[in-house]
Amino acid sequence: MSYGERELMLTGIGGQGVQLAAQVIAQGATAEGKEVLVFGSYGGMMRGGNSDSTVVISDQPIEAPPVLSTTWSAILMHHQFWAPLKERIRDNGLVLVNTSVFEDELVADRYQVVEVPATDVATDLGNPLLAAMVMSGVYGRKSGLVSLAGLAEGMRRSVPPYRSQLIEANEAALAAGWEMAA
Amino acid sequence: MSSDHIFISTDLPPEEPASLVDDFTPSLITQANHHLCPGCGEPIAIRAAVEAVEELELAQRTITVFGIGCYTAFAHNLDVEVVQALHGRAPSVATGIKRMLPNGFVMTIQGDGDMVNEGLQEVLHAAARGENITCLLLNNGVFGETGGQMTTTTTLGQRTKTSIEGRDPHQHGHPILLSDLAATMDGAAYVARCAVNNAGNVARTKRYITKAYESQMAGAGFSLVEILTMCPTGWFVDTLEGPDYLQDTLAPVHNIGELKTP
Amino acid sequence: MTDRVLIEGSEAMARAAVAAGCRFFTGYPMTPFTELLEHMASLLPEVDGVCMNAESELEAVGMAWGAATTGHLAATGSTGQGLSLMQESLSEITNARLPLVVFNMARGQGDYFQATRGGGHGDYRHIVLAPMDIPEAVELTRLAFELASQWRTPVMVLGDYYLAHTYQAVSVPSIGGADPELPDWALNGSSGGSGAAKIISPLGGGVEGEEGFDLGAHYAACAAHIQEMSAGVDPLVDIGFCEDAELVVAAYGSVGKFVRYACLRLRDDGHRVGYVRPITLWPFPSEAVRDAIAGAAKVAVYEQNMGQMVEDVRLATLGAVPVEFIGGPSWDHSGFGIGPDINVPDISECILRAMQ
Ligand SMILES: Cc1ncc(C[n+]2csc(CCOP(=O)(O)OP(=O)(O)O)c2C)c(N)n1
Ligand code: SF4
Ligand SMILES: [Mg+2]
Repeated sequence: MSYGERELMLTGIGGQGVQLAAQVIAQGATAEGKEVLVFGSYGGMMRGGNSDSTVVISDQPIEAPPVLSTTWSAILMHHQFWAPLKERIRDNGLVLVNTSVFEDELVADRYQVVEVPATDVATDLGNPLLAAMVMSGVYGRKSGLVSLAGLAEGMRRSVPPYRSQLIEANEAALAAGWEMAA
Repeated sequence: MSSDHIFISTDLPPEEPASLVDDFTPSLITQANHHLCPGCGEPIAIRAAVEAVEELELAQRTITVFGIGCYTAFAHNLDVEVVQALHGRAPSVATGIKRMLPNGFVMTIQGDGDMVNEGLQEVLHAAARGENITCLLLNNGVFGETGGQMTTTTTLGQRTKTSIEGRDPHQHGHPILLSDLAATMDGAAYVARCAVNNAGNVARTKRYITKAYESQMAGAGFSLVEILTMCPTGWFVDTLEGPDYLQDTLAPVHNIGELKTP
Repeated sequence: MTDRVLIEGSEAMARAAVAAGCRFFTGYPMTPFTELLEHMASLLPEVDGVCMNAESELEAVGMAWGAATTGHLAATGSTGQGLSLMQESLSEITNARLPLVVFNMARGQGDYFQATRGGGHGDYRHIVLAPMDIPEAVELTRLAFELASQWRTPVMVLGDYYLAHTYQAVSVPSIGGADPELPDWALNGSSGGSGAAKIISPLGGGVEGEEGFDLGAHYAACAAHIQEMSAGVDPLVDIGFCEDAELVVAAYGSVGKFVRYACLRLRDDGHRVGYVRPITLWPFPSEAVRDAIAGAAKVAVYEQNMGQMVEDVRLATLGAVPVEFIGGPSWDHSGFGIGPDINVPDISECILRAMQ
């Protein structure tokens, strides 16, 4: 019932890179010619508040409005603000969970859960803030919506000029995620 | 009868007509007749304003923005381009014009009710911005057009329809001295106050207006000329008493002179 | 890889405006209008245009008015309160017959009347366009400037928080084009001293006391022009599934997109529901609405307010079928008219209730 539209909802806390991950995936899909829509909301603060985003990707013009009540897939960076998302994931959906920090029950029989110790992997790569990029890499491959090259291009389009020194590390993190999803 | 004598026949009209008001009308005023009150100071001020436009050869690059008051009648009586703005809002309209036509000459004509009551923030913001426009304030200390009520420039003790016993600071507050305020703005290049209640002051008015225009054409920034004008109707005094009333009531508070020069 | 970009609605509208020839923009920050102002501030210098951070909305609309008299395409905008402050000028600018585009980035849908009834004093109307999403906003922004020039009138683009802050992949027009030609009525000072200097006034032209100056005649001409616009501007409307619909749901703007989506899904579940989404809110597409509901037993109007557009729907349908209001005001605590109260399941439920 999704008209070929694939929805992704991301949740986490401010500072975890939730908005950046949404941008990278969405920019990547745009670069690869897909129709894309993104709507984010932040809990006011840059760090520590809730941070959510919705991405819709499709081959057809998007019918979905910016706020959705159900989703085909989800990226759970943190458990603190994830409660409203719980019921929204549709049966047989795809759920990526950051097992390094996520502490809650998941109903694994209703949807496919992919466990990603994203923050640990990122820390091994030298910076825990790369967790969202690791997740994006995993998501691209598991969802089949964006290629690794697309993600890398999306990341380059999303990183603000004053963060350009992070491009290489981001790219490595995307690749690490992509590999993990093999 | 000797040819040394001048013979005037009163039986026939003269061959050459006597001088009419029209002969003294500046060419940029379309028609001499106006229906402002006898003794009103505003036509004198506007006349000085358009004469200066002509003398500085600005007629073909001038856009005049009118506020709303008795002077608005002249919006339809000038041979320069005109934009009619709302009550109080002429400085922002002039700003939009000047920004799109930086080589144009842009001025506003506003009253005290218009500029100092309704639109105080507009003129002060334009001054602070250093907007390269010229604002002319025709200050008669009353809302002339609506019949002589108190404005923010009405002086203490001045009687108006809404300060019947005279403006009382406890009840009505104090007058705003607009030019003094504008002169404090860094963006203001030229600020001066004058009057049209006698020949000397009219000549001074023309001089100040000319300087303000020159300052705009030199790109110096915001310029303001405040002109004290008679309003015998709104003051409820005899037409002939207007000039003296101005001298005794407005001029001692709104002091005449240049307040800021480039 | 394509030429399309993922772009925020505010930026997309700003780019579309500059591409349409807009060379002057001014505004005063207010959510969700702010980003449009910011984007115009960064884009206009690229085409030697001017963007001013006005000291107030009163001054913003005044500056835009002044810029418009020079014949350059000008725009301004705001949100609710700021638009209220601008109404006095919008009325007069309409009567001064000046083109101007006004971006009304509203909070929720409480300002439908303000947008479509003229909002200010006097007997005037101007064109109002309400996009549902970013691709449509880009197209309607272009159209707004075209209609403003063609009809010499303010044209309002009625958006909201969703439009301003959603990102969508769209093809945005490039902004490098030549400046549009200036119309012959534009002021530049040069007609001074000719004996027939131009005047642009909401009170009309002509020399006072002479033939040609007549306020009554001017207002009559303005009224005639408004009638001409109401008949001559192509009404735009988006209609779906109305042929066999028992219930037709009417909605506009971003909320219209939610309603449309709800209807698509209800159709999938076998419910005979259709939708009609007016895009030109003034002139209201009355005929198209009338045609769309011809076979339906009932019309339901969903708006995020106490019921405003419902009046236009009732006027359009003239009692042909019952018209029920099924929306309600926003209870979103942010005040921006977003969030939990606008969602597909609740809207679907309202629609299903109306079908019973
Ligand atoms: C917003 C608004 N409020 C009130 C008026 C009514 N009004 C017209 S003229 C005027 C007074 C003008 O006073 P001033 O600018 O001092 O000019 P004067 O008539 O004294 O020359 C007023 C209050 C108006 N036109 N617009
Ligand atoms: S009321 Fe006063 S300002 Fe108005 S025309 Fe008469 S004298 Fe002049
Ligand atoms: Mg006055």
